[in-house]
Amino acid sequence: MKKPKFINLILIFILIFKTSYANELNSQVDQITKNLRCLICQGQSVYDSQSDFAISMKTVVKNKLDEGKEEKEIYEYLKNKYGEWIVYEPELNQNTFLLWLIPLILFIFGGLLITRKVSIK
Amino acid sequence: MSNYFGNYSLYIALIASIYLIIKSYIDTNINIKNLNKNLVLITSVQTVMIIISFISLVVAFIISDFSNETVFNNSHTLKPLFYKISGSWGNHEGSLLLWLLVLSVFLYIFLLKSSSQNIKYRLLTLLFQQIIISGFLIFILLTSNPFNTVFPIPSEGLGLNPILQDPALAIHPPILYFGYVGTSIIFSTSLAAVVAGNIGDSWAKHIKSWVLVSWIFLTIGILLGSIWAYYELGWGGFWFWDPVENVSLMPWFCLTALLHTVIVLEKRNLFKEWTIILSITTFSLSMSGTFLVRSGILNSIHTFANDPSRGIFILSFLFVLVIMSVTIFFFNQKKLTSTIKNSFIISKETAILVNNWFMMFFLSVVLVGTIYPIFLEVLNGSKISVGPPFYHNLLIPFLIPFLVFMSFGPSLKWIKDKLKKFEYNLLIIFLASILISYFILINTEKKFLLSVPLIILSFYLLLVTINDFFNKKSSLSQKISHFGFSLLITSILLNGLFSNEFNANMKVGEERKFNDKVIKLNSVNVRDIDNYKSLKANFEIKNQNSFIQLSPEVRIYQQPFTITSEADIKTTLFSDNFLVFNILKDDGYYNVRYQYKPVMIWIWISTILISIGGLLSLIKKNEKKY
Repeated sequence: MKKPKFINLILIFILIFKTSYANELNSQVDQITKNLRCLICQGQSVYDSQSDFAISMKTVVKNKLDEGKEEKEIYEYLKNKYGEWIVYEPELNQNTFLLWLIPLILFIFGGLLITRKVSIK
Repeated sequence: MSNYFGNYSLYIALIASIYLIIKSYIDTNINIKNLNKNLVLITSVQTVMIIISFISLVVAFIISDFSNETVFNNSHTLKPLFYKISGSWGNHEGSLLLWLLVLSVFLYIFLLKSSSQNIKYRLLTLLFQQIIISGFLIFILLTSNPFNTVFPIPSEGLGLNPILQDPALAIHPPILYFGYVGTSIIFSTSLAAVVAGNIGDSWAKHIKSWVLVSWIFLTIGILLGSIWAYYELGWGGFWFWDPVENVSLMPWFCLTALLHTVIVLEKRNLFKEWTIILSITTFSLSMSGTFLVRSGILNSIHTFANDPSRGIFILSFLFVLVIMSVTIFFFNQKKLTSTIKNSFIISKETAILVNNWFMMFFLSVVLVGTIYPIFLEVLNGSKISVGPPFYHNLLIPFLIPFLVFMSFGPSLKWIKDKLKKFEYNLLIIFLASILISYFILINTEKKFLLSVPLIILSFYLLLVTINDFFNKKSSLSQKISHFGFSLLITSILLNGLFSNEFNANMKVGEERKFNDKVIKLNSVNVRDIDNYKSLKANFEIKNQNSFIQLSPEVRIYQQPFTITSEADIKTTLFSDNFLVFNILKDDGYYNVRYQYKPVMIWIWISTILISIGGLLSLIKKNEKKY
């Protein structure tokens, strides 16, 4: 009874994805600008924004890439110029280690709590 | 006129609130059999007063009474009637009045619906709820009165923000508020039940409807906000991990955990303390959400510092409520001890604990990510951004064990279950999901280490939840919600993996190639409409077997000067074609952004399914009573 249903399902899903999508041509500029905050906008990335600031930032990133700079070097350059605020992914340093650690510590703590509430008798 | 009505009815409501706090406190300390009729009467008077006040504000918006400061700041005679009405809660003052309205209406409904409950418990709930109501009344009257007047009376209002004139956004705040405020009843009743000492299965049964109601409204509220962001903000995403969004997601995680825990309390009389903690936390999160959004602290510490009175009031009020509940909880903890100490490792109880464990983890990631930058800036002045990469890095890996647990947890039995014999059914499902994932991933050149197990597991869970419809172990509402959830995860993953987009500057008549498609900008027509200038473009997107036309629009409003981009989206069951364009500096070029988003509509449908499951459970629960 169940098997034919699954086969149908598989067929449907294969059909959906038959119209295959070639790999995303996300250039490196797009990738980097998506991780940059547009400093004059309300919660938009440089990539998403059409403001003057964002447009000039896109050019800056493009020029730096043309100069042969690595992704990391570009982030460093921008951080020095505009502050850490411009990058959406906070790096791990003495200011932010708690940001990354607190959820993980809570997860471990929760797990320990559960093992104490559960018995294998 | 309406200003006076609105204002004075709030004062009457405050007097009623003070009377009710004193009276219900006195009554809890003497033994009485029935609820004093005055209490119900005064509560209904209070509710009516708040309704009058709210209607006064709406009327002021409808007739564009610019002697009212709130109306002056947020409305305009040119606004369509529908947006004049929704404008009354689209601002700080009005939205707080709406909070208050829902608070008192919910309390009134509680009093009507709880007549079979213990008298002390009802009195205490009234007491705690009135403390919250009086807090909000004082807050509104002192810092955010919607009925402040302007003199001389201006002839035209200021507010006509076109981005906010949207049907989804108009009904989004009330729906979300029903969810937020519903948690206040959960908070008050759980504190009342702690003091009255009736935490147990019958209380769980009683409170479950309130948990379900809040949860359904919150889910739909989040969905509406997300849909609005998708088509109106023009970025083509549906979740941006923006603090304002996160604030609604946090109580959702907590309520989802509570929804499961309440079932354990109802069926097994277990996890009493944990249920209370969750109830208190859920409401605190809803309150702090209001605080974070309304104080302006999210945008910048400086807006907060310029006008701190509102933020400081909510913060200290929240602080008082939390201290109060912790004290009550601490002094009554003895009443909460269960007779059964531990649950067996393989049982539904443990499975629900594991669900709660993950919910709390997801909550902590979002909570820390949202408030950490604020604390850091206050403490040492450094500004950091916590954006999507942070949330993805911490959440996505934990989805893998979560999906595994969710695939078998719900089918475990209460008290004690055995490790099942090997099930061929599940093996077939697992192989099928590997096969499906293979066909899907072979078409992509993206080979993330994480995406392979995630896709396999999400399909596995999807097929398992479909399979569950055929065996009758659990309720239909649970099956629908769990199926909806697995569909949501699967759709999000596929959408994330296979979305692709094209971004370029184009002139009229120009053609560009993108993958196997050709995108052509046919024309841009300029027209003057009502209060804006419209630039409507015509694009065609072709490939071997399909041809779509898309007509996105740019609107230029003069008062206030705003440019909005209206995306054009063609939705089918399989994918969305999303196109938005923008004006560049006047050299005839337009910035064009075309996005192909597979299974987009299923993200919305699955969220609706999740809520339908909740609704079904609510209806079935009420059916049993009558």
